[in-house]
Amino acid sequence: MKTLTLAAVLTVGLMAGTAYAASPWTGGDDLPTNPLACDATPATPEAKPYDGGTPTNAPDRKGKEITVVDVPKLIGIGYFNATSKGIAEAAAEIGNMKATTDGPNKANIDEQITFIDNDITQGVDGILFAANDPVAIAPVLKKALSKGINVVGYDADATHDARQWFVNQAQFNGIAKALIDNMAKEAGEDAGVAIVTSTFTTPNQARWIAEMAAYAAKCHPKLQWLETVEAQEDNNLSFNQATTLINKYGDKLKGIFGMTSVATPASAEAVTQAGQCGKVAVVGLATPNAMKPYVQKDCVKSVVLWNPVDLGYAAAYVMRATADGTLKPGDTSVKAGKLGELKVINGSEILLGQPFVFTKENIGNFDF
Amino acid sequence: MTKALEARKGRDHAGLLRYETVLAIITIIALAVLANITNKFFTVDNLLNQGRLMAEVGLVALGMTFVIVTGGIDLSVGSILGLTAILLGVFWHNVGMPLPLAIVAAMVCGTAAGALNGYVITRFRVPPLITTLATLALYRGLAEGISQARSVRGYPEWFFFFGQGEVLGVPVQLWTLVILIAVAAIVLGRTKFGYATYAIGANETAARFSGIRVDRVKLAIYAGTGFLASLAAVIFVSRVTTTRSDMGTGIELDVITAVVLGGTSIFGGKGTIAGTVLGLVLIQALKNGLSLSGVKGDGTIVVIGVVLIAAILAGALIDRNRGGN
Repeated sequence: MKTLTLAAVLTVGLMAGTAYAASPWTGGDDLPTNPLACDATPATPEAKPYDGGTPTNAPDRKGKEITVVDVPKLIGIGYFNATSKGIAEAAAEIGNMKATTDGPNKANIDEQITFIDNDITQGVDGILFAANDPVAIAPVLKKALSKGINVVGYDADATHDARQWFVNQAQFNGIAKALIDNMAKEAGEDAGVAIVTSTFTTPNQARWIAEMAAYAAKCHPKLQWLETVEAQEDNNLSFNQATTLINKYGDKLKGIFGMTSVATPASAEAVTQAGQCGKVAVVGLATPNAMKPYVQKDCVKSVVLWNPVDLGYAAAYVMRATADGTLKPGDTSVKAGKLGELKVINGSEILLGQPFVFTKENIGNFDF
Repeated sequence: MTKALEARKGRDHAGLLRYETVLAIITIIALAVLANITNKFFTVDNLLNQGRLMAEVGLVALGMTFVIVTGGIDLSVGSILGLTAILLGVFWHNVGMPLPLAIVAAMVCGTAAGALNGYVITRFRVPPLITTLATLALYRGLAEGISQARSVRGYPEWFFFFGQGEVLGVPVQLWTLVILIAVAAIVLGRTKFGYATYAIGANETAARFSGIRVDRVKLAIYAGTGFLASLAAVIFVSRVTTTRSDMGTGIELDVITAVVLGGTSIFGGKGTIAGTVLGLVLIQALKNGLSLSGVKGDGTIVVIGVVLIAAILAGALIDRNRGGN
């Protein structure tokens, strides 16, 4: 018994050692980056052959009534309420498409997989998803494709061969540029900045952070990266993490990036309560309604996002076009109702548009 | 073992059988109702698939039954799962071990993490709730720190056998679960080790005086639970083809729910593997069946809560009747 327990203590101690030996991590992913030009030169997306998946033996759904489920990362937060609102709007317009939203109430990979698995058993025609993890979700999505179900992602992608199309709200390098440029403008070129993200493994956030690091290194090299902290998609935790950053770095901290629609308003609240408005800039991704109070008080100057209602709306139209066969591999654009023609980029992604920066001047015009 | 203990155990068994009968009837009714609501539920495909999905919780629940029968609790199982998963990835990807060796090494670490729980509980007499609450944080922190939150992906195809493969048309992890259910049922119900487990839960002091090596049994139980959580981790990684440091977060609640619904008393001394299996099946069937019949996620949680309360009330009623006899 003594040897066993000694071994247990040693093993755990050893593991603790390994933890400290590893290098600090900013929270990006290890994939290649593609930073944009420092001026406003727009990116030219490269034409790539279709690299999405294909459902096997899909029945002919052209013009037929289809049942579609929408499984977001989690339900019950403003952002995904907005995307499901867009999906419902589009479904009502389209007519021959029934769409329902249901998903886990925590951003949990396993629960999301179980939801999708049950939807496959139920025999739906299409699955819309926003992935909590691009790889973990892939087996169950491939299973859906193998049963002839149409699979379209939005907001957060899976590995490309696990879905047919992905509706991308904005290109990662575009978001990264908007965030870094606004931060450098507000906090100064040599500001010390920190990030409050959801979790290090969340695909979108990790991608943005990797692109931000690459763009900052290229165009704002004096920006100092202090730390990246995790805060799930949790309001309280985000507030606490932002407060900790303010206390920990003091005057060195000139700016906080909020990487989620939860972290950004929570960070703004932390800055407000610490009396640091004007001293610590907050730039981040968030919905306008959550940010209006801080923007109107001048505590936050720029909020970067796209319109999530439009994102859901576009995803629903892409789903219908995929089921009808009007959107096929090799196509370069797709019609999406009131949004007009959307471009196909990067093989199998559909681009919603440029990121949008909300400021004091325009934020009052939006309500979501 | 003293005669008194023996007698007490016998009586408990009689009572438990009745609770399990009630639970079995509830489960059968639930299955029948669900099969009636939706024709997608009672298909071979769906049932086998549900077996796949409940394997990880099921494996850990077997260990947890032993733990709770001794009157303890293990809140750290989800963190042990996450830690083992991360170590598997790190040993293979970063350290460069061959994958089979990495699996074994990670499982040894997971078992050691369980043994450490047992060591702190028995050696320093720290209540299991506090010990495992602490290691819940410790092991999760280690998982995050070791991996630096980087996912490990790109496992070879053969590895997916454990989580996605089939043998004779039945998911591999369901075979694993069934075999371990049999082992656990025999160990808890038919061996000296099992009797010792009940005796510790019924009255630890009496067990000590009757010559049972209480600390050794407890240590083995916590280590065994760590082992089962590690096994669940390997299956989980194989099923989702990636390693993340947040794997298994919150699984302890699903596990404890299944065990308690299965009639194992949180005060110790009572409980069977059969009950735990029934609890598992009932919860999984409710989750799946309600989802298939179009009940939303939050509605399902409400129903499970109601069933849990009803089952506990039924258990209490049976207990009271038995007391009156």
